[in-house]
Amino acid sequence: MRATIEVIGLRKRFGPTLALDGMSFTVEPGRVTAFVGPNGAGKSTTMRVVLGLDAADEGRALVGGRPYRTLRHPLRHVGALLDAAALQPGRTGRDHLLWLAHSQGLGAARVTEVLDLTGLGGGVARRRAGGYSLGMRQRLGLAAALLGDPPVLMLDEPFNGLDPEGIGWLRGLLAGLAAEGRAVLVSSHLLSELQHVAGHLVVADRGRVVADTGVAALAAATGGLEAAYLRLIGRRGDA
Amino acid sequence: MPELLRAEWTKFRTVRGWVLTVVAAALVTMVPGLLFAAGSHSSCSEGPIEVPCPAPLLGPDGETVEDRFSFAHRELTGDGALTVRLTSMTGVITYPPPDHDKIVAGLVPWAKAGIMVKDGTRPGSSYAAVLLTGGHGVRMQYDFAHDTAGRPGGVSPRSPRWLRLTRSGDRLTGYESPDGRHWTEVGTARLSLPDTVRIGMFAASPGDLTVKQSETGGSIGQVRFTQTTAVFDQVSLQGAWAATEVGDSPGQTDWERYHRANGLVRSGGTFTVTGTGDIAPSEDGPTVQDTLPGVPFGLVVVVVAAVLPIAAEYRRGLIRTTLLACPRRGRALAAKAAVIGVVAFAAGLAAAAVTAPIGMSLLRANGFVLPPTPLLTEVRVIAGVGMVFALAAVLALALGALFRRATGAVVTAVALVVLPYMLAVFSPVPDDVSRWLLRLTPAAGLAIQQSVPAYPQVLSHYVPGTGYYPLPPWAGLAVTAGYAALALALAIRSVRRRDA
Amino acid sequence: MRRELHAEWTKLRTVPGAGRLLLGLVTLTAAAGVALSAGVTCPWGRCTQDTVRLGLSGIQLGQVFVVMLAVSMISGEYGTGLIRLTLAAMPRRATVLAAKAALLTGLTVAGGAVAVAASLLGAGLVLPARGYPPPSPADGPTLRAALGSVLYLALIALLSLGVATALREPAAATGTVLGLLYLFPLAVLLLPDPDWQRLLWRLSPMNAGLAVQATTGLDGLPLDPWTGLAVPAAWATAALLAGGLALRRRDA
Repeated sequence: MRATIEVIGLRKRFGPTLALDGMSFTVEPGRVTAFVGPNGAGKSTTMRVVLGLDAADEGRALVGGRPYRTLRHPLRHVGALLDAAALQPGRTGRDHLLWLAHSQGLGAARVTEVLDLTGLGGGVARRRAGGYSLGMRQRLGLAAALLGDPPVLMLDEPFNGLDPEGIGWLRGLLAGLAAEGRAVLVSSHLLSELQHVAGHLVVADRGRVVADTGVAALAAATGGLEAAYLRLIGRRGDA
Repeated sequence: MPELLRAEWTKFRTVRGWVLTVVAAALVTMVPGLLFAAGSHSSCSEGPIEVPCPAPLLGPDGETVEDRFSFAHRELTGDGALTVRLTSMTGVITYPPPDHDKIVAGLVPWAKAGIMVKDGTRPGSSYAAVLLTGGHGVRMQYDFAHDTAGRPGGVSPRSPRWLRLTRSGDRLTGYESPDGRHWTEVGTARLSLPDTVRIGMFAASPGDLTVKQSETGGSIGQVRFTQTTAVFDQVSLQGAWAATEVGDSPGQTDWERYHRANGLVRSGGTFTVTGTGDIAPSEDGPTVQDTLPGVPFGLVVVVVAAVLPIAAEYRRGLIRTTLLACPRRGRALAAKAAVIGVVAFAAGLAAAAVTAPIGMSLLRANGFVLPPTPLLTEVRVIAGVGMVFALAAVLALALGALFRRATGAVVTAVALVVLPYMLAVFSPVPDDVSRWLLRLTPAAGLAIQQSVPAYPQVLSHYVPGTGYYPLPPWAGLAVTAGYAALALALAIRSVRRRDA
Repeated sequence: MRRELHAEWTKLRTVPGAGRLLLGLVTLTAAAGVALSAGVTCPWGRCTQDTVRLGLSGIQLGQVFVVMLAVSMISGEYGTGLIRLTLAAMPRRATVLAAKAALLTGLTVAGGAVAVAASLLGAGLVLPARGYPPPSPADGPTLRAALGSVLYLALIALLSLGVATALREPAAATGTVLGLLYLFPLAVLLLPDPDWQRLLWRLSPMNAGLAVQATTGLDGLPLDPWTGLAVPAAWATAALLAGGLALRRRDA
């Protein structure tokens, strides 16, 4: 399967609010694509539509050229981290990954691998998830995303809650995953981190894409990613 | 605290789902009662002709009564007394269980025979009587609701019972004696009677009641004709005696026609009085309580309405925001309890206040004659519904804070507050078990609705299904209040100690 | 379906709770059944009470644990937001619901069987002292009552799962199912006409469903024993359909 995410003309309304207004972009393999925008831009909604969790009123979202619901072992195609706090407090971290693994036909061995990969090896994973710190929950969510060894990754605010060491580690992990030829979509507010990691930038505002460009060119041309971002958002507001 | 209350009230009223649930609780309480009142019809007929149902018979204190008996009487002016010797009291019961196919000799427990002073022979007029019953010994009864016990036991020709009733001004005193010489006082009554009254011997026998479980749940009561015959002699007053069937209804049963009619048979100094009927308070007709069958329905919804907010706060750690705003956790929980309690009270009060008058006028329009209930009782019933709702809500909230699980809290609250009543009404649980359940569980508070008192001297099916609760109204409510307070105290203690 | 089942079973067994609820089911059902059996009498010297039905009446109380089990299987996911992960991992939503339903049925049948057996055994211990013979599994109607009671519990579980999937909020779902079970019989008694009472009785999941427990007086019942079970089955089907539709069409 070609590792891509394609979002084509998505429109979605939540009651009176227009969350997505013609959102269209493509995430290509081999690089980290940063998905940024102000609050309410529609980033999380787009990701949920790609995963088949929310239904768009119009438009399509394809993973490797196919709709998510047609994927036989979805987590082996797309790994997603949407909400790290979505955990049953009474269940251990290991067991949380275990049922996910079973749902994809994977076993306990893979669970151990992915726990080591995300730094949750040892006794941490055998503690109840209700007692996890924010950083531990974030790492568990990453582990869940990596469980199926997917060629496509979608991560919503993965840097939240990580200490500086953790942020460095994650940057390295993401770069490595992209270098392996995966398509990685990362949404974040921490533009400074993304500047070092992202190769491509998709800026969203009010439900549609405002800019879809290579990062290096943008940062070099206008003196910094953050400045460029603010200018893009500002310009959109004037129009 | 006032800011806390205001914060909790704002929190509650700004969630549309929670407000709607409370409104639903009120509506769900109203619908069953109104449907029941609209769908129930009562009709009375004289032979084949349908006539409006007669007004209920009222006693001197204004309550509905039954006043039917056989009276052998004469006039008494001023002070006086009557002494008799009762040598025999027998009776028949028609078609009793288990087979309902025979007429057997026997006395129902509250068959009555004795002597009475009565203000005329009009049914419902004031009276005092000292009498022997079928199964409860000698008793003094007056003005229908009052009953005092004398010595137990029956009567036979070998061991007769002597009875004496004296009038002195407005004081009537009843005495009994085993031998005619040594007298014990049974009781006294102060009645405002006219100067001239009727005094004499009487006999009455209330219907035999059997209760059957119906296949659709609930129970059916069946009352059958009975009759008692009493033999008096050594009557202290001489002269001409009149015989009256007080409160008699037209027509005779087959038994009366072919075997033994009611009335007086005099043979020299021996008077044999045969009578049927009862001299007692009666609970005929629906009251305000009967418009409120929806209360258990509303209670289930109120429980859900009280658990929703507390469950929402514990989900996803939203409770932490609350406790940051108010670190004094006990107060925070108490404020929540106060808000949900007041809201639930308003819902219950509104539901009852709307259903009761509309329901009662619907019942009247459908041909029912409602016995008069004191206004204070009706107010108590209606306000009581609000109070039960409030207490159930506080209990459910406390359970929600204790368990931190919505399902367990809802199930426990419903099991404690509503289930005992439901089991008492339609389950195979025996009557005494369900009575204990309604004494010991928070469901006891439902007794606040009881609008007709249960009289021990009247044999009736006194179960929650017919509106009678084992505890007095306020005592029952106190039990529920105790549970709610205990649960809230436990919840506050738990919230203070636990990590948020 | 296999993967969905495997994942749901792992989910269920890695959180304590299901075991405790099943224990509650067995304990309450058996205790209530034995207590009722111990109070049975022979009125007027005739021992005609339906002791099998009485001994199994504990199910009227024990079923609340089944309701709680079913509701917690789905509502907990919505409460924590876990449902998104579940549906991302297993996008065939109807299959996920079917897997939960299958697991729930298995657990309820197992727990229910133990509860019913314990009730009848316990009743068998106390009844002889009250003048009645102990219930015997060799007796056709008794076997029917026992099997039917286990089936009834499974149907109530499925009903609760459907309602909880449709409503999502656990307090509302629990309240709705409890109302459906316990308020229906009350409503039956409110109707003035005996024919209407019988009609409403035939629609009531608990009244009709527990007709299967009757071993005497079958003529008086508004529905035959096995036909009675069709009523909670219909309710469960409708609830699961509603829940499944809601699950499919709603945003996660």
